[in-house]
Parts: sequence; structure tokens; C-alpha cells
Amino acid sequence: MIDYVITGITSGCVIALGAIGLTLTFGILRFANLSHGDLVAVCAYLGLACERFLNNIFLAAIGAIIGGSLIGLSFEKVVWRPLRKKGGSLVAMLIVSVGIAIASRHVLMAIAGPGLYFYEISAKIFHLGDIRISSVQVLVVAAAVIAMLFLYYILQKTKLGKAMRATSDEPALAKVSGIDVNRVIDWMWIIGMGLAGLAGFLYGLQTSLRPDMGFHLLLPMFAAVILGGIGNPYGAMLGGLTIGLAQDISLIVLPSQYKVAVSFVVMIIVLIFRPRGIMGKVT
Amino acid sequence: METVLPYAATVLILVGIYALFALGLNIQWGFGGLINFGHVAFMAIGAYAMVILNLYGVPLALAILAGLAIAGSIGALLTIPALRLRADYLAIVTIGFAEILRYFLLNEGWLTGGAGGLIGFSLPLENIVPAEHYDLFLLGFIWGALLIALAALQRLAKSPWGRVLKSIREDEDVAKVLGKNVSSYKMQAFLLGSILAGFAGMMMAFYHSYVNPYYYYPIETFYAWIIVILGGSANNRGTILGALVLWTFLSGTRFLSPLVPLPDFTFAALRMALVGVLLIVLMLYRPQGILGNRRELTF
Repeated sequence: MIDYVITGITSGCVIALGAIGLTLTFGILRFANLSHGDLVAVCAYLGLACERFLNNIFLAAIGAIIGGSLIGLSFEKVVWRPLRKKGGSLVAMLIVSVGIAIASRHVLMAIAGPGLYFYEISAKIFHLGDIRISSVQVLVVAAAVIAMLFLYYILQKTKLGKAMRATSDEPALAKVSGIDVNRVIDWMWIIGMGLAGLAGFLYGLQTSLRPDMGFHLLLPMFAAVILGGIGNPYGAMLGGLTIGLAQDISLIVLPSQYKVAVSFVVMIIVLIFRPRGIMGKVT
Repeated sequence: METVLPYAATVLILVGIYALFALGLNIQWGFGGLINFGHVAFMAIGAYAMVILNLYGVPLALAILAGLAIAGSIGALLTIPALRLRADYLAIVTIGFAEILRYFLLNEGWLTGGAGGLIGFSLPLENIVPAEHYDLFLLGFIWGALLIALAALQRLAKSPWGRVLKSIREDEDVAKVLGKNVSSYKMQAFLLGSILAGFAGMMMAFYHSYVNPYYYYPIETFYAWIIVILGGSANNRGTILGALVLWTFLSGTRFLSPLVPLPDFTFAALRMALVGVLLIVLMLYRPQGILGNRRELTF
């Protein structure tokens, strides 16, 4: 049982970090970004490339984060902003995000090939009484906590964070009160995709890298976003942790192939009975 | 000539199957404005239901009818929780449903044969049609069904039913004020679309004389989306044109593979990446597709 809880927390950290970017996009641009999972996978491979060339696991993490931010910003300039200028609706953005997902996943396949890759790290195992914890698990939780504290600082204590929250609450009002919405959106991608990069790196530490790994994270991440209340980054963190725990604890009674189904069921239940999520506001 | 003809027949069979599949999506999305990102699930349900029933001894014609009924009713049932949701939630719920169905097909081997799939079910008129001409027979069968479906859908689109569905797409509240039962119309659109998807799935099963879970990845759904958008949303004839264009591209590039100095795997992946790029470019520069009407777009 306690082992399931520990792996649940570590996978929950990954889901939570990924879900933050997803919920920020949902809150500010109002669409469900279906490419988010596949871009998490791209970042995991970028981290791997950094690790192979620079031989340093911390530089790999930084590479994945910066890579994520740059990818987010590039898609904003090349695709999202032009689409918004043409008055692309929510549905247009949804479909374009599918296009980005398909394109990036297959570019990744073309470059990485069919093989399996792993980050080369040697994990130490700590024993606390009966509980076994690996150094990777400690690293994952520590990195996630630091990233979340950093996000809290940005959102609550900086002017940018205030502008982001305002844009998420009421975009039209934010615009007329002089907030540069495009700048807020740029930073939304930088922060959200940077955290997605970290999520990809931390996910890669725990499992093998496969080009379709991101797609399998998409459903749990959406479940976390909806559970936490759309547009609420703190809700997404809590939601991610909850979904991670629910998925891993379900292994006690369910075969592992149905792990993702657990997050789907949680999502449906929340959508039917409490569509604003556990921490969301009424919309 | 001998190799070109069977190859052309193969491509036309696939065009026919995917056109039927995409016509189902066109009812839901083109006419109804409903975002179904799990369309492939109904292809799978139709095919598996028909195959399983037939393997348990149900005569093929009955198994086909039952399979269509099962695909249609699951499609309609899914709308009960899903249609109360905003458009983007519907997208997430349907894509999730299709993925979980795929896990189910993979893991419940006692019913579905698991990863190995199912084989040995009957094919329509297999005792009458000589085996060496069976593909040609299937080609005629599928295109016959496609033309019937097209004629029926064209009539439906112009009927009061089709007009109400379009009005719901344009503005749900107006349709409601006029006393139309919006949920019921959406449910009917889902029912009809799922039946067509189920039928397409059965044709695919006959074509391969085999079903397995690997035919039902989410990408199949997005093929249907590309076909509908390429041809022009809410345009039935455009959907068939879209299927023709997509499969000409997919099979035409296969011919290029030996000419390009890349491993097959890499080439196939790049080809799929191009499909994704096509979707982005279409939405940016020609969202109405080839034959579509810009005024009929919800985006």
C-alpha cells in the first residue's frame, strides 16, 4: 500500500506540473490544448539529448525547461497568434492543437527512431523502516515542490502574475484596464511550457522514453485540470496529485492497463456532479 | 497493369470506407457542430460487435444489423452525459472514451481476442463470389453503400430535420426558443453518425477479414476530421472528395518511399507529421476546405 502511495505521489507530481500549463492555457486562451501531452514528450527527449551531450543530469533538466519555453513561444508566434488574429474560434484552436500534436509526435518518431531510451542515472534506495524510497523519487518531489513554490511567487507576488490572473478571470476587462494581453500570453506559454518541460524530464527519469508517452499523460492531465477547476493553477496541482494517487492506488484492485481509465472516470464524475471542480469558481 | 489495377482497387476500397466513416462525422460536426474526437470508437464497436456475434453463431446479416444497432445506441447513450458539456469538454470526453475502449479491446481477451484480434468470421456472399475477385466485389459493395448513404444524407440535409440541426449548430438558444428539443436532435445526430462509423468499421473488418485493437488508434478519428475539413464541413460530396484526396496522398507517398534515402520507419513518421501540418495549415488558410461554404463555418 505505502509503495503505491509513494509512486502515486511521484507520478502525481508529473501530472500536476503538466496540468499547470494546460490549465493556464484553458484559463487565458479558453481552449483545451490537445498538443500539451505530446509537447511534454518532446521536452523529455530534449532533456535526454542534453544529458547525452553535456553528461549532466541538472543541465538536462534545465535543457528540458528552456526547450519547453522556446517551443511554447515559437508556436505562439507561428500558429496561435496568427490564428487569433484571423478570429479563429475555440473549435479552430482545438483542431489546430490536434495538428500540432500529430506533427510533433511524428517528428519525434522520425528523429528518435523506434528504439527505447532511458536517462542514465543510478538511483540509490533509502530504507525508512519498511518503506523504500529511491533517490529519483526524492528528486522528483523536490523539483516539483520548488517549481510550484516558484509559480506561487510569480502568480501572487509579481505584477506579471497579477496581470495573468486578471486576464484569466476577465480577458476583456484586463485589456481595457491597460494590460498588454499578448505579453501575458507570451509569458503564459513560457511558464506553462517550461513547467511542461520539467514534467517531461521528471517523467523520463521514472520510465523509458517513447514518442507516444505524452499522449498517455494527456487524459490524466485533463482530469487534473477539470478536477482542480479550469484556469486554477493551484487546483491543477492538487488535482494532479489526486489523480496520480488515484491511478496508482487503483492498482491494488485493477489491472495496470486500466490506470488511465481511472482518471477518465474521475473526470466524468466531476464533470457531471461538480463541473467547476473542487477549487474552481462558479462560471 | 496487373499490379496497378489491384492497387487502385485497394485505394478505392479505403477511400470508400473512410468516406462512409467521415460522412458519419460530417453529420455530427458539419451539420450539428458537435465535436466528436472519439469517432473511431464506433468504428471499433460496430466491427467487434458484428464479428463477436457472428463467431457465436449469429447469421451474418443479423450480426451486421445488431452491430449497427449497438454502435448507434452506444453513440446515443454517450451523449447523455456528454451533451450537457461545453464543446471542448465534449472533445476530451469522446477522445477519452475511445482510448478506454481500445484498452478494453486489448485487455479483455476472453471476449475480444486481445492483441491477437479475431479471425474466422463470415464475409458477405463469400460462397458465391469467387475468392480471386472478392476485393472487386467488396469495392462495388462499399461504393454502392456509399452512394446510397450520400443520397440519403443529401435528402436529410435539405429536410426540416437537417435544417433544425444546422440551426442548432449556428445558435442553440434560438433553436430552443423555437421549441425544438435540442438534446434530442443532437442525440439523433450522434446515433446516425455512430451507425455510419460502425458500418465503415464492418467494411474494414471484411476487407482485412480480421479485427484487432491496433486498427483503432485515435489517428483514425483525425483522418475523418481531415477528410471532412478538407472537403468542406457540412458538404457531403466534399467529404467523399476529401477521402479521395487524403488517401491519394497517403498511398501516393508510399510509392515515393523507395526513392527517398530514409529508413521506412522514418519516412512513415515524416509522412504522418505532414498530415498534422496539413491540418494546421488548412485551419489557418482555408478553414472552409475545398468545397465548403465559408458562411456555414462555426469557426
